[in-house]
Amino acid sequence: MRRAVVALAAATALLACGSATAADGWWTFDRNTNLNSTLAWKWTYPPSPAQYSRSWRAGSGSSTDECRRGEGWLPAGWYAQWGHWNHYGGSAIRGRVWWLQDKYCYDGVTKRVELFIHSEETADNGQACTSAWDDPFCWEREADYYSLGCIKLARPSPVADFPGDLGSAHSYYHSYGGSSNHGDLPNDAYELYVFS
Amino acid sequence: MVAFAGCSDGKQKQARLHPASPALPGLYSVGARIFGLPGGPVRLATPPVTPLAGWLTPAGVPSADGRYLAYNSWRELRQDDPKLSWSDQGIEPGDPLATPSIRLYDSRAGTDDVLAEGAFSLAWRADGALAYFKGAERDYRAGVSYVGDVVVRPSLEGAPEVWSSERGRYIVVGWAGPRLVAYIEHEGEALDVVVFDGPGRMRALAANSALVAISPNGRQAFVEQGPAQGRPTVRVLELATGHEAAALDLTRVDAAVGWVGYAGDWRADRVVASSASGLAVFGVAPGKISLQKALRVAASSVAEPRFVDSSGLRVKAWTSVRRGGVFLDCDFAEEACDRAMPLPEARGVHGFPAWRRPLYNPSRPLGTS
Repeated sequence: MRRAVVALAAATALLACGSATAADGWWTFDRNTNLNSTLAWKWTYPPSPAQYSRSWRAGSGSSTDECRRGEGWLPAGWYAQWGHWNHYGGSAIRGRVWWLQDKYCYDGVTKRVELFIHSEETADNGQACTSAWDDPFCWEREADYYSLGCIKLARPSPVADFPGDLGSAHSYYHSYGGSSNHGDLPNDAYELYVFS
Repeated sequence: MVAFAGCSDGKQKQARLHPASPALPGLYSVGARIFGLPGGPVRLATPPVTPLAGWLTPAGVPSADGRYLAYNSWRELRQDDPKLSWSDQGIEPGDPLATPSIRLYDSRAGTDDVLAEGAFSLAWRADGALAYFKGAERDYRAGVSYVGDVVVRPSLEGAPEVWSSERGRYIVVGWAGPRLVAYIEHEGEALDVVVFDGPGRMRALAANSALVAISPNGRQAFVEQGPAQGRPTVRVLELATGHEAAALDLTRVDAAVGWVGYAGDWRADRVVASSASGLAVFGVAPGKISLQKALRVAASSVAEPRFVDSSGLRVKAWTSVRRGGVFLDCDFAEEACDRAMPLPEARGVHGFPAWRRPLYNPSRPLGTS
């Protein structure tokens, strides 16, 4: 279920602000289940402490053991965001993505690596849906919320009616306190916190 | 062969978790301490750990004659607090964070030396050939993919030969006769199972899949595909040709199985793997895979299950609790597991819970396991 948690008062305040250029934003991820957790973009207008947020349903992993490489959901803790692309062209992940730092899981030994926030889309933000049961770059069904460890957001496709959460998250990120830059962004101030 | 009774009949019992039990793997680690080697327990120079592989590959592999233990080690060059982001710790792009190495313990000489620095994940063949991943750089660095090559030594003393034709993120798993089985890792920890037939001769065996086990004769591989890559499935593949010998759609069997994980065991005509709810045992026959038994285990997840004997009724594995690793001894006839936590006071690196892991050789054919 798509959720908007911005309070009416907050929305009113936003409209009154007019410009979002002074906002300071960050991600949070609240792990609930592999198929139904919550990714939020939160922001403030310093020096005001008032927080505003927008959240989306998101999936992560196929196991709730964060130490299972390639299976467990994203480990808890703070993450530096090290890159953002609109047209990422990887072999397994494409399109609009945010790249996260590597992270030790709870055992303090096992590193989870190559972690992203992403969806299932092509590098040009389209859909490649064929007759196969599960195309890697087409959002067809509920099970597409499963990932190997990354955070995944839904998007519409020609074969299924899912919400445009990736596009919404992308828009909020750029509009309310995220970086306007693209590419490798080492030491980007925009971080992610994954709740235990 | 002992047949299972009541296969997949929905009567799975919740595994019992006893506070203590003497049932332990034959060779295992508790932190840096190793039990089960000839000559008794020893303390290694550093704990066998596989940060860049988890349990996709064993933490340590004994030689066929049991004299040596080759193991993965990890030397942190600066502490990395999991609670904090790299930015908050002042970690800059390209900063060296750790050095993975493969070390060799000789139980006869009592020596413990580095075999390959900037290397991890190894496979040891019955004739002594040793394969492993060697990083292009020695150190694992922040924000830099740790790429390198697969190399093979004909023996401990032999010179390493590069088998990969291009650098990548490889994880070596085991030998299947003369062939080497490994992973290539992509973005998002996506894995392809690959086979090396020799130097420069690599081919994909199973894309978006992981290896459960190599058959006892080394001719087949049992691979799994989880729900993130489509319909959860297990398959038996011919290693020489990649031909699919059998497949089983896991959505058409006991729903308690859900999906199965990598790093299981294959003994005679049975394969054991971790599953979404605990453990699953499959029967493998020509052209057919069947689910023989599913066992629920009251644990967050189960790792590296291995048959105890040829009966196929007992399996040892491990799981994690807040205090660290716990060994499981599961009896499919009784549909229950006992657990054991040797050296409960042991602590791991930086005070984290100690790993307790079995050390074994997944290569086949091999006289030991």
